[in-house]
Amino acid sequence: MAKTELRGSHGPAPDHVLTRWIGIENLARIGVYEKQGGYRSWKKAMTELEPAELTNEVKISGLRGRGGAGFPTGIKWGFLPPPDGGPRFVVVNADESEPGTAKDRYLMENNPHQLVEGILIACRAVSAQQAWIYIRGEYDLQHLAVQAAIDEARAAGYIGEKPYGVDFPVDIQLFRGHGAYICGEETALLESLEGKRAQPRSRPPFPAVKGAWGRPTLLNNVETLSTLPWIIEKGGAEYAKFGTEKSHGTRLFTVSGDVRKPGNYEMELGRPFRDLIEGMAGGARPGRKIKAWWPGGSSAPVLTGDLLDTPSDLEALAAAGSMGGSGGVIVADDTRCVVRMAYRLVQFYARESCGKCTPCRVGGNWAVRTYERVLSGHGTADDLALFDRVQSGLAAGRCLCGLGDAAGWVIQWTMARFREEYEEHCLRNECSVEGGGRAQPLPSTAASGDLPPPEGRKLAHA
Amino acid sequence: MPDAVVEKDPNSATLTIDGVAVTVPKGTLIVEAAKQVGIEIPVFCYHHKLDPVGACRLCLVEISPGPPRAQTACTTPVADGMTVKVTSAMAVKARADILEFELVNHPLDCPVCDKGGECPLQDFTYRHGYPVSRVLDARLHFAKPLPISPTIALDRERCVLCYRCTRYYDEIAWEQELTVAQRGVESFIATQFDEPLQSVFSGNIIDLCPVGALTSRVWRFQSRPWDMRHTASVCSKCSVGCNVNLWERRGELMRVTSRENDEIDDGWICDRGRFDYADVNDERRLSTPLVKGVGTSWERAIRALGDGIKGRGSKLGISLPQDLSNEEAFLFKRLLDGPLSGARVKMHGRTALPPPAGEQLRIADLDQLKAIVVVASDLREDTPVVNLRVKKAVRRGARLITVNPSEIDLDRHAGVLHVRAEAGKAAAALGKLHGHEALAAGPVGILYGDGRGAETDLAGAVAELAEATGARVMPLYRATNERGLMAIGVAAWEESLEGVEALLSWGPPPAAGVPRTASFHGAWDYLPRPAHEGADVVLAGTSFAEQLGSYANLEGRVQFLRPALDVEPPRRHGWEVLSELAAYLGLPFSYAGVGAIQRELAAAHPELAAVAAPPAPEPPPQPVLLGAARP
Repeated sequence: MAKTELRGSHGPAPDHVLTRWIGIENLARIGVYEKQGGYRSWKKAMTELEPAELTNEVKISGLRGRGGAGFPTGIKWGFLPPPDGGPRFVVVNADESEPGTAKDRYLMENNPHQLVEGILIACRAVSAQQAWIYIRGEYDLQHLAVQAAIDEARAAGYIGEKPYGVDFPVDIQLFRGHGAYICGEETALLESLEGKRAQPRSRPPFPAVKGAWGRPTLLNNVETLSTLPWIIEKGGAEYAKFGTEKSHGTRLFTVSGDVRKPGNYEMELGRPFRDLIEGMAGGARPGRKIKAWWPGGSSAPVLTGDLLDTPSDLEALAAAGSMGGSGGVIVADDTRCVVRMAYRLVQFYARESCGKCTPCRVGGNWAVRTYERVLSGHGTADDLALFDRVQSGLAAGRCLCGLGDAAGWVIQWTMARFREEYEEHCLRNECSVEGGGRAQPLPSTAASGDLPPPEGRKLAHA
Repeated sequence: MPDAVVEKDPNSATLTIDGVAVTVPKGTLIVEAAKQVGIEIPVFCYHHKLDPVGACRLCLVEISPGPPRAQTACTTPVADGMTVKVTSAMAVKARADILEFELVNHPLDCPVCDKGGECPLQDFTYRHGYPVSRVLDARLHFAKPLPISPTIALDRERCVLCYRCTRYYDEIAWEQELTVAQRGVESFIATQFDEPLQSVFSGNIIDLCPVGALTSRVWRFQSRPWDMRHTASVCSKCSVGCNVNLWERRGELMRVTSRENDEIDDGWICDRGRFDYADVNDERRLSTPLVKGVGTSWERAIRALGDGIKGRGSKLGISLPQDLSNEEAFLFKRLLDGPLSGARVKMHGRTALPPPAGEQLRIADLDQLKAIVVVASDLREDTPVVNLRVKKAVRRGARLITVNPSEIDLDRHAGVLHVRAEAGKAAAALGKLHGHEALAAGPVGILYGDGRGAETDLAGAVAELAEATGARVMPLYRATNERGLMAIGVAAWEESLEGVEALLSWGPPPAAGVPRTASFHGAWDYLPRPAHEGADVVLAGTSFAEQLGSYANLEGRVQFLRPALDVEPPRRHGWEVLSELAAYLGLPFSYAGVGAIQRELAAAHPELAAVAAPPAPEPPPQPVLLGAARP
């Protein structure tokens, strides 16, 4: 891989669990990785500990899923039924597509063997002999890095018929996605892995019981699995020393947007976001103030700039009216129009909607059209009501999966926390951020079917 | 005092829906439990014969104990002590919200849409939706209507993407003809490779579609549902005997739809039964009897016919249609025992299988089988809806072995064992299946045809395999009323009509044509045929839509036809014509009506005893306008 400047945490530090070795030249080569101490945890898992003990260490560690849901990992591992002689799978969610999130990419390109080792440990813990890494298609260089690591691990015998002479054949295979955010949703990912149209399934049944090809499947995020070598090496109790009582450990945050030093920074959970955004990421650009920020990817409810002291653990975020999500922190300063940012995000959700359930399929597009109308200077009070209408139609279990929920929250919380900006757009056709007066007509990006709308692409009121 | 313990069935659950208590078997979905107490939970994507998906979100209800979000009633099974709220404020709003979303892109086509009047979207919106639209933008537009087959049109603007059609093809029909293209709001239904639909099972998607996106091109712009009368009858195109509704308006047969019978058809019919009825309304239909091409009275025509066929003995040939009713067949038998004795009788479409012996498999039994052997029959061609029933069993886990000279559609499923046996060698192939592991864990069923005449000694091999595996058998007679005609004794199959001097063709003329030796040809049919050109007598007959009588399907089950159309004078019922003919030939019948024939028939042929007990006529149907929306 080309040598690029590392934009993020690297090197030894007390709270560098995931990134302690990043920065070492050629860490992606197995020899260098082993020299640091790599694959010792895999050996320990195979030769010193029983599968149940592995699960126990993870439970003690308090590690929670780092993909977005934050479910306690050890408990999730316990959901798989006892082995019945049939196939069992570990599926790695490397589809990282949440806007604002690039941490899995950072881990895969800089320390792929750590992920491979973590996957192997998980396989052993749940007695799964086949692991699939579902990696988003756009991660071209990263998939090459991971594939190279798998090949090296196989050559070294860590992946194979009898790792360390133990009769536990295990294999890891890569599956590349084809460009759909919905494939990050675990059951849609499984559908795609099975070669079908990527649309989420109804749950129950959950993947732990009936997952890939109807078999017990453990689905975990890249960062979650990458944490396992450290936990097995040092013990779950050591990991639990980091963080707060309910949110143990550290987390790799991606900070992007209007900050001086965007990057992937590892921080102990519970420290305030100010340490991350201003301390590590350099804070706002010169002369600017932070106005809005998303703490956990665009699917987490937006927060106002005065809340930077919010602690970064999942409970504090929930209390502040948001969520931990994927740890993708998006920062917007006072040069940004919130309505336009909301439009851009809702456009993303509408385009990525799989179309299976009615509210997300229809509501997303309806909201996009409304935003376009409003941002072109044709908004009315009816549109304020419409935004609220679409948002409430997407809420509270209406949708089949979280994509629809997230689209609704973008509208709901930008309206709730930046109401004045919506009102000035809808009621007065003004934008105090980008300049007053009627804006330029926006090209319509909303769907229109396979025929052009009557009289070409024009908005209703134009 | 200890509380009295009430015996509770461990397999059932009692729950409350909107305050009404209902007890159902465990595993029942909430939508089904609600139906039992008359509570309507609107659904689009849910269909009781397809796997539930929870896609449309229309059936959202409040469930406690449970999460605070609304949940779909179609994917949630009942639990003991569950409380379901269908009419709470949250559930009512959720339903109205979803309906509003469905209508955002739905075109205002009701005045020109054939689904109007029997449209769940209309009915649900009226009963559960908001009265005013808030849409200010243009809707999605697609080129429409798209003919996706000669009989079905697709309208993508109306489609609510419930995926019933694609799921039906995947789960029930096992054909990959329909697919969803694109993603999100740009999704639309498309045919695979833009080819027209070719499956014989395609028509069921018309009934499945909850809106007017998939409509029949055969019945297009012809009527509103409330202008038609529907009559419960049975299909006459093959031996399965699917139950159908015949819809009539102004003396014309408008369309044929399924009248769900879980014992036989599970709610599906094939395209032959659904679309092949146009000739019933053909204006060229015969109504006046013809003698030498000239219209005349019935008396003269029957006299001419009688003169032509009497006293010929074995020089008389009689060709009978596959859909001859039991009652008419019985009258033929009386004639053959009397004045027409010695005549050679050939039945259309007779299968080269001996009469059934012993207890046979019934169609509904297929559901419970663990292994099925299908030999010498392409079910999809011969008995289409039985093909669907076998697919259902395989989906439930039954093993399937097919024995055939070439691949059949059932072989598409992974795990089906196909044994390639040359035509005529099926018996030998069956012999090799003894002891096969797939047939080890019963119950087993063997379905066997005649390889279209290629196999003639199959029944014995089948019986041996059945004995060895404890299997039950289903001989696959193809002709509509083959079982009935066999029981009555007018279905000999070796008979040839070569060399006859007179021919009476009842129904379509013989497949091999009128024998050249025949100097007299008398025909009874409902449409003029080329073979009638040289006929001496042509009697104006009735079609299946005017038939009152019964069939015995391939199971031997007696089912009754009810006429959708009146027999228009001067046409007469077939049994009346036969009675007059018999009287002229010196054997007067004295039947007051079909019922009298049925009673005598049942007494004479115990296999058909059920013919004497037709069900009571159904009450007049409710006008569709006020009836419940068909899900």
